[in-house]
Amino acid sequence: MLSRSSLRQNARRALRQQCSAKPFSRRGLAAPASGSFQYQTSDVSGTKVASRDIPGPTTTLAMVAKAGTRYQWLPGLAEGLEKFAFKGTEKRTTVRMIREIELLGGEINAYHTRENIVIGAKFLRDDLPYFVELLGEIASETRFLEHVYHEEVEKSIKLSQQKHLASTAEMALNSVHGLAFHRGLGEPLSPSSSTPLTKYLDASTIQAYASAAYAKSNVAVVANGADSAELNKWVGEYFSELASTAPSSVPKIETTQSKYFGGEERIAHASGNTMVLGFSGSSSFTGGFYKPEIAVIGSLLGGQSNIKWSPGFALLSKATSELSYISVDTKSHIYSDAGLLAIKLEGHAVDVRKAAFKAVEALKSIADGKVSSEDVKKAVASAKFKELEFGQNLWAGIELTGSGLVQNGKAYQLDESAKAIEGVTPEAVRKVAKALLESKASVSSVGDLFVLPFADEIGLQM
Amino acid sequence: MKKSWLRSWMVPMAKWWGRASGYRQLGLRLDDLIPEDNETVQLALKRLPPKEAYDRVFRLRRAIQCSITHHLLPKEEQTKEDEDLPYLTTIIEDIEREQKEKKDLDAMVPTKK
Repeated sequence: MLSRSSLRQNARRALRQQCSAKPFSRRGLAAPASGSFQYQTSDVSGTKVASRDIPGPTTTLAMVAKAGTRYQWLPGLAEGLEKFAFKGTEKRTTVRMIREIELLGGEINAYHTRENIVIGAKFLRDDLPYFVELLGEIASETRFLEHVYHEEVEKSIKLSQQKHLASTAEMALNSVHGLAFHRGLGEPLSPSSSTPLTKYLDASTIQAYASAAYAKSNVAVVANGADSAELNKWVGEYFSELASTAPSSVPKIETTQSKYFGGEERIAHASGNTMVLGFSGSSSFTGGFYKPEIAVIGSLLGGQSNIKWSPGFALLSKATSELSYISVDTKSHIYSDAGLLAIKLEGHAVDVRKAAFKAVEALKSIADGKVSSEDVKKAVASAKFKELEFGQNLWAGIELTGSGLVQNGKAYQLDESAKAIEGVTPEAVRKVAKALLESKASVSSVGDLFVLPFADEIGLQM
Repeated sequence: MKKSWLRSWMVPMAKWWGRASGYRQLGLRLDDLIPEDNETVQLALKRLPPKEAYDRVFRLRRAIQCSITHHLLPKEEQTKEDEDLPYLTTIIEDIEREQKEKKDLDAMVPTKK
């Protein structure tokens, strides 16, 4: 225990309060773990709300808008809109907003993915009304001023662009998405520098995008650690200003079914080597193209060991264990209506080359059924663990829940997809792996192109 | 201005003053005369819409030309009274308000209840 004299009076008081008889701060061993792992969803006059009352002194609140790079109608709109968050509204300026948040001891966060823009905050439980008001204000009353765009937003877009262009891994991943899906999901997360930012982006185009992105039908408010009734009350109060649908003057934010294309792209780069081998993957559980086998193949190929000092059971970690300068990672990128299984090889050019051959070999051995059923069993367990662990991760869980609500009207159900993974058989894995090898792959190589192999050299269908 | 008697003699005097200052005869507006060698006005100039910025430079160059050649503009090219509107002052006021708010908030001392 902390020595009493070392704490100031205020800290002591706070400590005493925390240790006092508040029901959530103490839980006996025999008491059930939090029973409300699932989100409670509701519809507050058009805005979708999900909350999960996890016991604890802090709350995480986020507004998830279906407006990621996939839905933008001009390059960079999603990024611009994300950067305009917390940038001054009709009621308060940027400085005031930041100072207020600092005084309440909160933390704010805004990011975008291919499908969503997430604007969120983390704060003490009692400050819920303030932050719900803040998010509502950002959605309905942000001032899109030309000079704010030029002085603040444009600079940070350029910075993220530079970061994107400096990292071979990010470039390869964006390029592989472009190859696989062309438009829509294929749009790069951050506008590549050749995109004429000055041509498409300004405060007025971002404002038009905001009017469609922040319509009631397009956003969900998700909270972790907030009482459902209370959250609904405040959302009802502060999100009433939002337009119920997007104005007819701007293009619609619609989901058009993604189509998988595939292909190969090679980009010269001086500061590293990354190769991404992509295959048509699985959509989210509710998306209609859900294939739990993909997640299992993902963890069967693996690359990153989750056990210390051992390559683990995963085929790629075993195959590349004698290559010293390489990192391998297999990830199933899941979107609402399509997916991409991506094997990322990053490191020294020579090792990346060797690993690329081994990756295709590994996939072939799965397709030929040469993998022991015990390894498949391990992969199933690991895939299930990863799925549940990912959903439990705070921000990922919030985004999944929000996008599930906006896209399909129901929160993402982890239990169901975990159950589907559990039911995967070795035979099904073999079949899906075979189909992967027979379909067209998407291969992107960024780095030393003299050494990095072409897709047909390593034996992939082009 | 609520007091109409005040208005009734102040406004004509201001109009006379504006005419007598002579900048309108050179085709300038009052806001063109704001000294620009400080950061606030420089920032305000950057925030001008492109058309306004172009017109401003045009007016200044025309005025300098008039001044060098010791001429006044022909009557129809001189600035009319209703054209002499503040276009920069509003932006400068915005910036000053921002700066004041920032200074006030930076000096804020949080106190515990």
